[in-house]
Amino acid sequence: MSKQSKKVTINIDNQVLEVERGLTILQAAEQNNIYIPTLCAHKDLTPFGGCRMCIVEVEGMRGLPTACTTPVVEGMVIRTHTAQVQAERKEILQLILSEHTSSCLICEEKDECKDYMGTIRKAGVITGCRFCPNDGQCELQEVVEKLGIKEISYPIYYRHLPVEKDDPFYDRDYNLCILCGRCIRMCQEIRAANTLAFKQRGRYTVIGPAYSRTHFEAGCEFCGACVSVCPTGALSEKVRKWEGKAEREEITTCPLCGVGCQMRLQVKGGRIIGSLPAEDPLVNNGQLCVKGRFCVTELVGNYQRLRRPYKTQNDTKVAISWDEAIQLAAEKLSTCSGEDFGMLISPNCCNEDLYLAQKFARIAVGSHNIDTTARPFYGSGFNAYLDLMRMCVPLSELRDASVILCVGLDARFGRSVVGVELRKAISRGAKIISINPRHHSLSVIADKWIQPVPGTEVSLFRSLVKLTEKKKTGTTPPKSKGKSGSLGDELATVAKMLKGASAPMILVGSEFLQYDQSPQILEAIEKLARNVGAGILPLPAYNNLFGSILMGAYPELLPGGFSSANKKRIDDLRKKWNADVPHLPSRLNRKILSSGRKLKVLYLIGKVPPNLRPPCDFLISQNIYPPDPWHEADLVLPAAAFTEVDGTFINGEGRIQRVRKAVNPPGEALPDWEILCQIAQKMEKKGFNFSNVREIHEDISSLVKGFGDFDGTKRKAGPLICEGRLTIPQTKSKGTKKADKRFPLLLNTSVVEHTYRGFPLTTWVEGARKLFAEGIVDINSEDARKAKISEGDEVVVTSAHFEKIWPARISSEQSQGTLHITLRQGESVGPNPHPVRIRKKDV
Amino acid sequence: MNSFKKKRKAAQRKWDLLKTSKVPVIYLGTASCGRAAGAMEVLTSVQKTLKQNRLKAKIVQVGCIGPCYLEPLMDITLPGRPRISYANVNPEKAKRIVESYLKKDDPLLQLAVGHFGDENTKFTDGIPKFFDLPMLKPQVRVVLRNCGFIDPEEIDHYLANEGYSGIMNAFGKKPEEIIAEVKEAGLRGRGGAGFPTYKKWEICRSSPGKEKYMICNADEGDPGAFMNRSLIEGDPHSVLEGLLIAAYAIGASHGYIYIRAEYPLAIARLKKAITQMKDYGFLGKNIGNSGFDFDITIKEGAGAFVCGEETALIASIEGKRGMPKSRPPFPAVSGLFGMPTIINNVETLGTLPNILRNGASWYKQFGTQGNHGTKTFSLVGKVRRSGLIEVPLGMTLRKIIFDIGGGSRKPFKAVQTGGPSGGCLSEEFLDTPVDYESLDAAGSIMGSGGLIVMDEDTCVVDVAHYFLDFTQKESCGKCSPCRVGSRHMVEILERIIKGHGQPEDLTKLQTLGETVKRGSLCGLGQTAPNPVLTTLRYFRPEYLLHVTEKHCPASVCRELIEYRVIPEKCTGCQRCVSVCPTGAITGPRAEPHNLDPSKCIKCRACYEICRFDAIAGDAIIIRSKRRASDEQTK
Repeated sequence: MSKQSKKVTINIDNQVLEVERGLTILQAAEQNNIYIPTLCAHKDLTPFGGCRMCIVEVEGMRGLPTACTTPVVEGMVIRTHTAQVQAERKEILQLILSEHTSSCLICEEKDECKDYMGTIRKAGVITGCRFCPNDGQCELQEVVEKLGIKEISYPIYYRHLPVEKDDPFYDRDYNLCILCGRCIRMCQEIRAANTLAFKQRGRYTVIGPAYSRTHFEAGCEFCGACVSVCPTGALSEKVRKWEGKAEREEITTCPLCGVGCQMRLQVKGGRIIGSLPAEDPLVNNGQLCVKGRFCVTELVGNYQRLRRPYKTQNDTKVAISWDEAIQLAAEKLSTCSGEDFGMLISPNCCNEDLYLAQKFARIAVGSHNIDTTARPFYGSGFNAYLDLMRMCVPLSELRDASVILCVGLDARFGRSVVGVELRKAISRGAKIISINPRHHSLSVIADKWIQPVPGTEVSLFRSLVKLTEKKKTGTTPPKSKGKSGSLGDELATVAKMLKGASAPMILVGSEFLQYDQSPQILEAIEKLARNVGAGILPLPAYNNLFGSILMGAYPELLPGGFSSANKKRIDDLRKKWNADVPHLPSRLNRKILSSGRKLKVLYLIGKVPPNLRPPCDFLISQNIYPPDPWHEADLVLPAAAFTEVDGTFINGEGRIQRVRKAVNPPGEALPDWEILCQIAQKMEKKGFNFSNVREIHEDISSLVKGFGDFDGTKRKAGPLICEGRLTIPQTKSKGTKKADKRFPLLLNTSVVEHTYRGFPLTTWVEGARKLFAEGIVDINSEDARKAKISEGDEVVVTSAHFEKIWPARISSEQSQGTLHITLRQGESVGPNPHPVRIRKKDV
Repeated sequence: MNSFKKKRKAAQRKWDLLKTSKVPVIYLGTASCGRAAGAMEVLTSVQKTLKQNRLKAKIVQVGCIGPCYLEPLMDITLPGRPRISYANVNPEKAKRIVESYLKKDDPLLQLAVGHFGDENTKFTDGIPKFFDLPMLKPQVRVVLRNCGFIDPEEIDHYLANEGYSGIMNAFGKKPEEIIAEVKEAGLRGRGGAGFPTYKKWEICRSSPGKEKYMICNADEGDPGAFMNRSLIEGDPHSVLEGLLIAAYAIGASHGYIYIRAEYPLAIARLKKAITQMKDYGFLGKNIGNSGFDFDITIKEGAGAFVCGEETALIASIEGKRGMPKSRPPFPAVSGLFGMPTIINNVETLGTLPNILRNGASWYKQFGTQGNHGTKTFSLVGKVRRSGLIEVPLGMTLRKIIFDIGGGSRKPFKAVQTGGPSGGCLSEEFLDTPVDYESLDAAGSIMGSGGLIVMDEDTCVVDVAHYFLDFTQKESCGKCSPCRVGSRHMVEILERIIKGHGQPEDLTKLQTLGETVKRGSLCGLGQTAPNPVLTTLRYFRPEYLLHVTEKHCPASVCRELIEYRVIPEKCTGCQRCVSVCPTGAITGPRAEPHNLDPSKCIKCRACYEICRFDAIAGDAIIIRSKRRASDEQTK
């Protein structure tokens, strides 16, 4: 075999071609620009051979083999367009069309039809004359055109299947389906999600989740990969349905979590009409999650976007010009001392914006009072989290890992790209261990699912650390306190698996981050990783958390991750910037928002304060959507979203990735850096004379190692290098909260993880509301039965500190004795976990 | 080897004990076919009779011996006397025979159909030898040799009848030698296509793979076919031995039997046989000290016809949807779990022990050049003697249908070979030898062995519609020609049957049929149009009558016929009135009845009862609607 050359010589339509061995006839033909019609074949999917469009004649082979499934063999003689083949194709295509509403394909009036359609298309109707959402992009139309079908000699079968519109983000009209099986192969082979399958047989064959479950029940991740490969209009994105073909696309980086997927923004008429995954071998491999695939269009395209600056005067909004707005801001800031100034910026902003913001705070106002909105999210565990980031390895190392430990990671909706990698790892033979108190996307596929009882997490992780220590103390594995002791055997197995693994890997999700004991948990994870020599990858919820640290957007950190307490570094910075940078005051205003002191000017960039107006004299809100009216922002500045700016993000693996401007910002909105530069220049500060992002980037690269790759060609991953540490006030450890007679249940809370510039996605994206249940309390079915609570009931949750009313969601998957809720933006209930009791709200 | 010999000796003793039994032995055919005919009731009756009369006798439940039309069959052997066979027994008849023969020593020979003795003795005076019966005489029993003789649930019976000596012979050879032996024997796949068995094996043997799999395809889904079921029920060990031989030849370490869940008895017997094999050391590690390890898993099919197709069957075993894949790669190179896999039919496997035991040259004596050996068929339909038969390949259809089957009562019209994938052959093909090539040339296929005989009461359009409707419903839906094309064909046929056919429909059927045949992915689609294409070819006039005259000559197509009472013949016996489910026939006793066509649902009940049960008979007729209206206009 080895002596055989890698090439074979074949003959297609009298052309002698040398092609690679192992290709199919179709691939060989496509490489040589020979057209063979196909419907079910797709470059990313395994050959199917169902549509029979690609039949060809091969000398010496019986019948008409399909080009997509037949591999080339030395000396093969293939004819792709003989009269017999063409006639057979036409006949088969007619058969396919007889199951498909086909007026759009063969109607004689089809070209003129468009000109006479003066009305807006009815969004509700998706079949019928020229009302197919895929019109103009349909592969079936293309093949019909190429084969020159003008009429169908068979009766049309309309399948009368109801159009499925109840699920978020995409609709399904299987009356248009030609059963090419692409969506199924995508779901099974590439996504390994196995939601879709063929059902029934013969003429009743349809596609959908088995056993008549809904997509949601069947575990659909709503990643939309099936929609992308559908050759007809059977699957269509709700938002994009009537947009038609994109004019152009722009490759950019998704800002909706720290994975940093590369995506292709679809642009038409100066608007974003969709986002599709980019082929990117480094991060997402041509995949996206529901957020990147479906949420972007609605997130940046809502009509409520801020279009021009305004100020509040006598409780009314007054639209003002940019000049006036800049003037007003500059005035207020010029008279504000460093101590009286505060700035909060979202880690969803580009590096350039983050850098400029801290530069603005430090030299234009002369204050270190800049912070990001990541601090409250990570809370007391922020430093420990940074320690994990200092050890991070690229995601691609999953491919070599034989055991993967997932801590608090749910990869169903957010980070489903990681879920795909995990399932691929399983099919390679890797073992998955998941530690998560709740039912999640890995519960079913993981080899071990450890479900800690709330409050016992620290002892659980510490036992694991003990069990994996290299030097055996000779004693029996420590029986951890609390209920996790019963998990002793399980933990021993897990420890054994991790110790015996080659290149183990630990992925850290968001589940345990809001726990009171998160620092201890994260420290234990770090030790565990060191014990077993595992690569560790925290997957931050904020896409540019990495960048916010390197840019120095924290009081304690300077650009490059240096400590701002380091006087030498401050001096260096002064030289670099040629401006005065204050030394860190001894009493740092660590909690900008709730220090109890009223600020003179509070400048919010992509931060939406919870509840009421934060205490300050003058509030500047710079965002893509208007702030809540009760914030009474004095000056509102319209910012550009990530689709409207150039810049860079750094993802959770430490890759510097490019953000590219696809469209202009709406109205007069400007990129954050431009607004800051204008204000600074108005304040007559030097060092803000930038005319484009590239210049800012160059400014950064003189301070931060590894920068300078603005075009994002290198995209090298690397652990966080950060000298400085955050100062986190030691909160008194309240000890483990236990349930008692008065409060027999333990409530776990998490905060909204899916946000952009301070807004939960659920605010602006309709479909997200269906998927990310916020403000709904999960109750175990047994607990619910005891309390006589049924699905959807209003439940009164009472603890020693609060009483709240939430709607209930009953599931057997929530473990008994516990409750869980994802709190709405701005809601807070104190300690986590929290002993509570429940009762049904009286009607 | 020694332990094997010991076991065989012990088995032989057990078998001899049965043969020289001091007490009478009663054999009952209790395979599915016998049970359907009431064999279990006969069994209870026999047991009861023995108990009541305090008679001692041994009851052996055996498999199907072949002639279904004689079921239930009960045989009795008295010590020192030949085994006498009684046909169509029922509980009362069984009681009578047992009491008479065992108590009064009167074998009631008038009720017997045959005996198994060497020659006629005074005990069997006047009855023929069983195997001299016209149905059995032309047959050659190679695969079915044990069916009806041994207790299928007794491994010792099989062992005593030279069972497992094929595999023992095989262990004495190199796998390559076994393949050569099978090649020499000229064995071709009995599943339908007739691909040389050795060729598949060679490819599989030489294909690299960490593991190899041997699969027995017992997913017998053709309507009217039951050869494989009968073989498994009657002699499961022969199939399992064949599986072992094949596995050893190709180097497989694990075997699967893919069997329809609709065959519960066959599954139960296989399971029992596998347990016995394990006990006897024919499964597990180091079988017969040969160093060969093998294990078998039974996988029950969930009722999809397409799962009989190799690649769909593999997908089904893998736990996926039973859906065929394109070939290449062939299963012999990349099959189950991506490993080289051989799938052989039940009958192919059942043949193997015989070849290995007796040698290739022995096997070659049966059949013709290129088509060696025997083939089992289920001979059903409008034929006097239906049942399971085994004949050497090359026998003519005429001999099978008329000599073995006894022909049809009404004039012969056609025979469908190969089930729904096969073709419908007319009278002119009766002298076609039954071999792979000849049937292929006639536009039909050998298939797995269904032979459905039709007489002039069968409408070929209706038959074609029936088969195509079956395959259309069983299409997996993957490829468009099969899924949509066969559906259009069925609808055209429905039109024709209902009298709405147009002359151009026949051309459409033809071209569509050819497209489906050429364009489909798997065997199911590629052969689905066969019944239509062959009937169109050989019975075109009948189609034309349906289309142009709206007339069904066989009086089958409901929309084209009507029922009439001939007043002159009707005696008014009211039998038809009592069976009519819709009250369409009325009339007082002793006066000619009246049939209201608007109420008649053409269920044929009155017609049948008038033929066989009424006083006058033949007073109710079926006639063509169109012709009737023609007469009226005249």
